[in-house]
Amino acid sequence: MKYVIVGGSAAAVSAVEAIRSVDKKAGIDLFSDEKTPLFSRVLLPYYVAQQLSKPLLNFRSADFFDEFDISAHIGVRIVSIDPGAKTVTAGTGETFPYDRLLLATGGNAIVPKIPGVDKAGVSTLKTMADAERILNLSGKRAAVIGAGSIGVESAISLLKRGMKVTLIEQLGQVLPTVFDEEAASIIQKVIEGMGVEVITGERATEFMGNGQVRAVATRGVTIDCDMVVLAVGVRPAVELGRQAGVEIGMMGGIKTDPHMQTTAPGIYAAGDVCETFDIARNTPFVNAIWPMAFEEGRIAGLNMAGHRAVFPGSVRMNSIGNFIGFPAMSMGVTHPGECSYAEADCVIEEIKDRTRNTYKKIILKNGCIIGAIFVGQTQKAGILTTLMRKQVEVTEFVPALMSKNLSFMDILPILRRHGDIFTEPEYKEIMDTGL
Amino acid sequence: MQVIKVDPDKCTGCHQCELWCASEIASEAKALPLSINEEPQPVPRVFVEGKPFALQCRHCEEAPCLYACPNGTMRRDPQTGLVYVHEPTCIACWMCVMVCPFGIITPSPQFKVAIKCDRCRNMGYPICAEACPTHAITVEERKDYRKKKF
Repeated sequence: MKYVIVGGSAAAVSAVEAIRSVDKKAGIDLFSDEKTPLFSRVLLPYYVAQQLSKPLLNFRSADFFDEFDISAHIGVRIVSIDPGAKTVTAGTGETFPYDRLLLATGGNAIVPKIPGVDKAGVSTLKTMADAERILNLSGKRAAVIGAGSIGVESAISLLKRGMKVTLIEQLGQVLPTVFDEEAASIIQKVIEGMGVEVITGERATEFMGNGQVRAVATRGVTIDCDMVVLAVGVRPAVELGRQAGVEIGMMGGIKTDPHMQTTAPGIYAAGDVCETFDIARNTPFVNAIWPMAFEEGRIAGLNMAGHRAVFPGSVRMNSIGNFIGFPAMSMGVTHPGECSYAEADCVIEEIKDRTRNTYKKIILKNGCIIGAIFVGQTQKAGILTTLMRKQVEVTEFVPALMSKNLSFMDILPILRRHGDIFTEPEYKEIMDTGL
Repeated sequence: MQVIKVDPDKCTGCHQCELWCASEIASEAKALPLSINEEPQPVPRVFVEGKPFALQCRHCEEAPCLYACPNGTMRRDPQTGLVYVHEPTCIACWMCVMVCPFGIITPSPQFKVAIKCDRCRNMGYPICAEACPTHAITVEERKDYRKKKF
């Protein structure tokens, strides 16, 4: 059995570990077009902020490939797949046969078609090369386009390096896919308090300058700057999948079944490149976040190695930890309006609790959690994430879930009620004590 | 693998396990009177709540925190199977907090790490089990609850 893994980040590494947990002998060839192996993309803002050196960006030790007996081709890009002959071809021209193939090619940072976007000093932040480029830009005044997670973290990173930073977002709030308006306004105040200038409701229309960027123009204002970070979004990198003939889903990611297999037999997909069933939205979605990539990679690897494992479905979740000195987490859907995915006859409820520095919100659909936001107080958030992923009715437990004294003990009745859903051995272990 | 079992009939909610965990494990001073005044305050890794019942990290077989940690800080000890936080590399992103089904990971802005029970992996025996005055907390071999191993 020959395994070929295209990709070298979370999903790929997780898949490889899963394969090796059941198959210690078969050949595994891994191809990553990044020249720096095993670094965590989630940490790139910390590298740009000069808070972490390159070795500390690693999520596995340098001897990982040797330890797991992987033939790792670092810096090698796979350019085409022949599903009939079951081979992949590298940019070097070499071909490699496979029995099972994993597409874990991640996403591509979107480069918006704005005049002047190709000027010097304008960069996305996705790859190590991007991070190094930004690190080496000798600017003093930065503009960040897009206030999603990457945009906000990039803005803070550049601020921490002593630059003057303006964050420009076309929608009416920062972090529009992560938080609702109220949570976003709290976060915006925090980052403004740190020194970032935040402009919402403005779209960048032109990057001005003579070869080197000198300013960003929006409809309303013009911001002087000597460097620009583009953080307007990421699209699944499906080029290879498309060429291989696998079906691409409605959300732009490679379609996968619950075993993480694509529409082509023997070809699997996991991570930011793929589409999975989103439990909270009740529809296929691309949830391009680290925990999902890791879990999907694991399920893909197990199935590739012949062990039937089922991916229960993804959810979106984001956590801003200590990076802005103020914790905030969000999972699932954030606005009831997002529930255009909801069927007409379902009941959506929103429960909120706001204090001066904290904000908590739970969104229920027919009594089941489909979204939650925690700002300022995030302890035990995992209990809600789990209840959301399990899609169990929690209506009578809402006061406990909203309380800052929430404890696992509060949800024991839910465990007792749904023994067929809470099947993990650890739950059984606890319930067996007689609780 | 060895796991901690708590007998709910014997747990009186006295919080001794929490106190010992905080002073023996979490504190610098390793003595209760001095730990109380430590700044930042030591964080116990066991939670005595509800019925009452003492709840520690379950060191899950499929640990969501292991999958959520973006930089390899959350690790599993290959010898013991215990899941622990390798604190020097923790960047306090708290993605582990966001996924723990039992809510036993504490985000600590004071210590700038995620704090979790490591089952006293560097000691001989878990301190909560040792300290419990009613012997509600014991250590035993993990049962295999899965119907089919993979």
